[in-house]
Amino acid sequence: MNRRAFLRSTGVALGALALAGLPVRAQALEGEDLANLEKALQEALGKGFRDLTPSNLVRLTMPSIAESGANVPAEVEVELPSAQVKAIHLFADKNPTPRLASFMPMKALPAYATRVRLAETSAVRAVVETADGRLLLASASTRVTVGGCG
Amino acid sequence: MAIRVIVRLNPARPKAGEEFRLQAVAQHPNHPGTTRDAQGNLIPANYINLVEVLFEGEKVAEARPGPSTSANPLYGFKFRAERPGTFTVRLRDLSGDTGEGTTRLELA
Repeated sequence: MNRRAFLRSTGVALGALALAGLPVRAQALEGEDLANLEKALQEALGKGFRDLTPSNLVRLTMPSIAESGANVPAEVEVELPSAQVKAIHLFADKNPTPRLASFMPMKALPAYATRVRLAETSAVRAVVETADGRLLLASASTRVTVGGCG
Repeated sequence: MAIRVIVRLNPARPKAGEEFRLQAVAQHPNHPGTTRDAQGNLIPANYINLVEVLFEGEKVAEARPGPSTSANPLYGFKFRAERPGTFTVRLRDLSGDTGEGTTRLELA
């Protein structure tokens, strides 16, 4: 292969790589791990990440930076009547066990607060199961300085 | 050994129809099963996996926390104040230990 052909082919390859990589990069959260999350979603809900609809009705509050992953406050609020919310689930993409908690608001308002462990910098998801079978999603990301799972 | 639970309301005396927060704090190490002790041995998992909130003996909310809950965990719920009564928060961990904390809801 001469120099010109080499430059042309690598140039094309790099260009294709940049094109393929950029759109994904642009919307990815820090610490995302969809493969790990997918497993946990299937286990907990029997549904995958594709079945979730991002929604503004779900508000997930996480700190952007946590010094210690052993104690990270997490809060979810859903702007729907209690009767329409069957369950609220919390997941952290990078945890060995991604499912953090599930909450069933029976007569309570659809809001839940707790403190969780994060193994490392991770995307955190709130998945809301509604009474009519929809799955609503809110995501956040927390940067962790010291892990809390080991 | 029973798990120690403290339950409190915020605001402590809500008005009728007002939203208030119910918080329960438990004294529990919540071992996730991935941490090691000083000798390097794996500490077996033992975490609280059931939280039930009862109002006047009737179950009004339930949470099922996983292994990744912090030590001495906090559980926060929101309710609307309707009538005075007693809230009970019941916890159970993997080893079968239980704990119970109560607080009284008085309307302002």
